[in-house]
Amino acid sequence: MKLFLRISVFALLILLPTLNVVAQEPVTIEWWTVASEEFDEAVQRALVDQFNAEHTDIQVNMTLLPSDGYDERMQTTLGAGQGAPDVALFWNTNWYPQALDLTALIEADPDIDPEMYLPGFWNTRVVFNDQIIGLPLGVGANFVMYNKDMFDAAGVAYPEPDWTPEDYIAKVAELANPDARIWGGDRPRGPYRAIWYNMGARLYSDDSTTTEGYLNSAESVAAYQWLWDLVATNGTPTPADLEVLGTEGTGPVDLFLADRLAMATLNQGHMQNAIAANKRFGIVPEPQVPGNTRHVNAWSLTVSVWKGTEHPEEAYEWLSYWAGPVGQQFLMENGNLIPSIPSVLENWEAADTDYGQAFLSVLELEQVAAWDNKHPCKGTVLRAVSDAWDLVMLGEIERDAIQAMLDGLVPAADAALEECVGRLGG
Amino acid sequence: MVIARWRTASPNARREAVEGYVSLIPWMIGFLAFTIIPIGVSIYVSLTQWTGMEPPRWIGFNNYVRMFTNDPLFWQALKVTLGFVALSLPLKLVLGLGLALLLNLKIPGMNFFRTVFYIPAVISGVAVSLMWMWLLQPDTGVVNTMLYFAGIEGPQWFWDPDWALPSVALMSIWKVGGSAIIYLAGLQNIPAHLYEAAEIDGAGAWARFWRITLPLLTPTLFFQLIIEMIDSFKVFTEAFVITHGGPLKATYFYLLYFYEEAFQNFNLGYASALALVLTVIILLTTIFVNYTSKRWVYYESE
Repeated sequence: MKLFLRISVFALLILLPTLNVVAQEPVTIEWWTVASEEFDEAVQRALVDQFNAEHTDIQVNMTLLPSDGYDERMQTTLGAGQGAPDVALFWNTNWYPQALDLTALIEADPDIDPEMYLPGFWNTRVVFNDQIIGLPLGVGANFVMYNKDMFDAAGVAYPEPDWTPEDYIAKVAELANPDARIWGGDRPRGPYRAIWYNMGARLYSDDSTTTEGYLNSAESVAAYQWLWDLVATNGTPTPADLEVLGTEGTGPVDLFLADRLAMATLNQGHMQNAIAANKRFGIVPEPQVPGNTRHVNAWSLTVSVWKGTEHPEEAYEWLSYWAGPVGQQFLMENGNLIPSIPSVLENWEAADTDYGQAFLSVLELEQVAAWDNKHPCKGTVLRAVSDAWDLVMLGEIERDAIQAMLDGLVPAADAALEECVGRLGG
Repeated sequence: MVIARWRTASPNARREAVEGYVSLIPWMIGFLAFTIIPIGVSIYVSLTQWTGMEPPRWIGFNNYVRMFTNDPLFWQALKVTLGFVALSLPLKLVLGLGLALLLNLKIPGMNFFRTVFYIPAVISGVAVSLMWMWLLQPDTGVVNTMLYFAGIEGPQWFWDPDWALPSVALMSIWKVGGSAIIYLAGLQNIPAHLYEAAEIDGAGAWARFWRITLPLLTPTLFFQLIIEMIDSFKVFTEAFVITHGGPLKATYFYLLYFYEEAFQNFNLGYASALALVLTVIILLTTIFVNYTSKRWVYYESE
């Protein structure tokens, strides 16, 4: 018996270190990401290295995918239910049901508090079906950038933050010189975005049952008529001009920087281009209608944990590092990320500049996404009524005929809405 | 019957048959994995509602019923695509043949011209689209600038609902060098002694073309007709890159609609139904052309 005990103790002594090693084997977290203007590959690898050095029990394996193929790869792996990464960018709303509910993990985490994020971005980007399905990484927004040199040359006063859609048209007309191919401002990139919402226009009812009284409401008609007036100034680049002369698909920043376009609806990436080009510019929100809620087209990257992960806690550890204060501070200082956390945003190098202040004020506005995210059929209905936009942009409709045109599109819009709601729900 | 033949076959014939079937196995696996199974899955998915995330929901023939009875976009996309086929196919066939006749001339440096005309066929569709977008820009494009100097006011091309479809057809004609090379191979297979005999009989150039070249080229024409027709039905890149289906859905091609449904709306069931309907349309059209070919295609061996 003693011999047996001795052998057992000896065997345990031999095996214990081995068991210890097994217990300490670090968990590997698969992370898929892309490179962008906000964070290139080197910055992201540096962040991973920093995390891995601080967490000996978790190792993040970064896979950098090309932006073009990212959607397809995520869609197929998530759809297949296997092979998806533990942590990734979940920028497509179709993927949200595949994201892990983080509510309990966040509640137990003393370092992450929903209230530490900008509320507009938290509410529109990570709250889904009353669950928290991710964290908002960085912020972006559209605003109107104006070229001070062009305004000064034309003797036109700079736009004020409280300007109206009519002010916009008046300035376009004053600034434009069509013979010299100088444009006063650009056209919106689609209907039912910020300016439509500022005018009180909505595409369909809040309960997603009808477009009657919405698509053809007085507010919608006014918005399309405003576009008609803008096109009629002949002071905006046509779609053909933009397709060919504007090489940047996200906005005509190149025309703006080349002093050909005095005002353009651009984003924070374009703003940084203008800073790099030493351009004299200012920023104002898109025009507002007095008395109406003012909107902004804004976005943030939703970063999430895949609900099929075998290591939810470790995956969350990396997620909260990446999109929490540490990661966002790192990506801001070493890349071009503009954080979604106000306490980090205070340290943004442009926070005290005029344009920085103007940009920060835009982030406080009601987001277009607040309505859009709750109404996933908007794109389908817009496609059914795209002729309205085309006719006004082409100048092939009389201003007085806009009401009748929108009335005529209601049946097709209702049919598209009904089909989509039947498929996706309200 | 197969078993009976197997029993009566010699050992050598049996071994040869086994080797043949074994050699076929890799191809059969590929054919099953990459053709038969995907088609079968596509047929199944077309009978469901599926976003690609949740399990497919069986809805029977609802996708097809909706397509034919309650989907104006389907009919618009079909109309635009058929219009494009009707516009571009004859032009591509005629111009391809004309170009091949020119490239068949016995003059110095012809290989250079053959290479030059073939180049557009191997350039990426996106690059070609971007190039044509620049060329046809209404105000600053090369084409309208040249028309301006000729005293002609050029159209708005891709940005005019009436001109957008012809503009895309014009782009497709530019790539006709690819088919010209096929015609050229057909032309060079026509025996020279037929032309010599015709010349001795006093046949002029037109008569030689009409009586010798065209009849003997009909198998190539038939092949080109099928290939170019299928290619025209699949038009997509130009609309995706340049027009986005507009203006006023003038270039809203069938595959663009399919793409939007599948990869933007993630309506994979309906997209599968669209794909299968297009397959059936192409199949029926091909069968029809094949049926008529008995009347106009001449095979030397017949």
